[in-house]
Amino acid sequence: MGLLSILRKLKSAPDQEVRILLLGLDNAGKTTLLKQLASEDISHITPTQGFNIKSVQSQGFKLNVWDIGGQRKIRPYWRSYFENTDILIYVIDSADRKRFEETGQELTELLEEEKLSCVPVLIFANKQDLLTAAPASEIAEGLNLHTIRDRVWQIQSCSALTGEGVQDGMNWVCKNVNAKKK
Amino acid sequence: MFISLWEFFYGHFFRFWMKWVLRQMTGKCELQRIFDTYGGAQRTYRIENSLTCSKSKVLQNATRVDESELDRCVADIMKEKNICPEKDTSFQICMRTCLLQITGYKQLYQDVENVRKKPYDSGNAQHEKLLLKLWSLLMPTKKLKARISKQWADIGFQGDDPKTDFRGMGILGLINLVYFSENYTNEAHQILSRSNHPKLGYSYAIVGINLTEMAYSLLKSEALKLHLYNFVPGIPTMEHFHQFYCYLVYEFDKFWLEEEPESIMYFNLYREKFHEKIKGLLLNYNTVLTLKT
Repeated sequence: MGLLSILRKLKSAPDQEVRILLLGLDNAGKTTLLKQLASEDISHITPTQGFNIKSVQSQGFKLNVWDIGGQRKIRPYWRSYFENTDILIYVIDSADRKRFEETGQELTELLEEEKLSCVPVLIFANKQDLLTAAPASEIAEGLNLHTIRDRVWQIQSCSALTGEGVQDGMNWVCKNVNAKKK
Repeated sequence: MFISLWEFFYGHFFRFWMKWVLRQMTGKCELQRIFDTYGGAQRTYRIENSLTCSKSKVLQNATRVDESELDRCVADIMKEKNICPEKDTSFQICMRTCLLQITGYKQLYQDVENVRKKPYDSGNAQHEKLLLKLWSLLMPTKKLKARISKQWADIGFQGDDPKTDFRGMGILGLINLVYFSENYTNEAHQILSRSNHPKLGYSYAIVGINLTEMAYSLLKSEALKLHLYNFVPGIPTMEHFHQFYCYLVYEFDKFWLEEEPESIMYFNLYREKFHEKIKGLLLNYNTVLTLKT
């Protein structure tokens, strides 16, 4: 890397805005994750009607994180937020085994969306603080993640409640911001 | 910079000397002058400030006194301030009322916080009973087919089992929903039927839980003080908190319909707008926010 490109990187890096879309079923933990990222109080969260948005500075990026409510009734609105997405974060409640099939189906449909094609996807296997949580490897297998070929992807186990694993996931996000194949 | 310097000097010197001069002129202490000049919430509010800023431990601690020691505390204040009960007959009664309101507000927050911290528990028969009661209050003619059912969405829960929707508000969210449905049944039915409107609709139950959060955070930030000091001439109770929640639900529904939002996706925008409106109303010394049907 030449001196010039390093300088250019230093100059341009803080300005790069990244649009992150946070999706998943209701009660997956999207809002808790969002508040954890923004270092806000997570003790009195309520169900998200509509959406929340927060901007977080991280590793020279300005991450604009859109947290969209997950209830079935408003899932049809998800598509209005697809445009210009740089990274998709899909959150799964690892302890809610009864809904693995439902969450897998929603994810499959998302990955087939044209507006999200080639967008890197990070899957958070959330709620690992619960004893009944399925490990990330089991979820990856259940969702057939290894069949994803058209984009970079990663599954990260985490607990939005304790913060464990969240930073690892965000490091991956920052590394793969520019991995979107045009 | 100048403001903080002024605040420092005011708090440490001027306030003391001003109070001394006024005392010499009127023959009365600050507490007595407040009772003479102000009424309603403003009186209690000013008494509370005066006590909190006082250098005397007796006065400072009065805002945290236990109800059982209230009479002794009022007597101690009168002794400390050389107030003769024969000369100022109303002081004792006024002070007692103010202290009930001031300490009552703090206690109410603790009580509400304790209920909020209790998560909804499907293993608790009382919680389950309350949840089913909410259904029968809102849907008197429709039977719930099973405890885990898609029908819950009809009253605005997100999924098949409402238990996950209470989240950070715990059992407090459910108690508020039931309170409104029970005490304002007609209004609840009307709001529920409107909330199923295809375009202007919203999820009745989870919006209710969101409004519990609003009521809770207003109480926590002490923004509810003027309202409660005006509304309750003694110790405020959970009942008064539930009533304030009912006011929010009723007014929010009106606000939402008037604003005609594009879709439910803009809920948080209008929620914030409504929150600001309520905070503005709560700044008025004469404010009393009650549901008027």
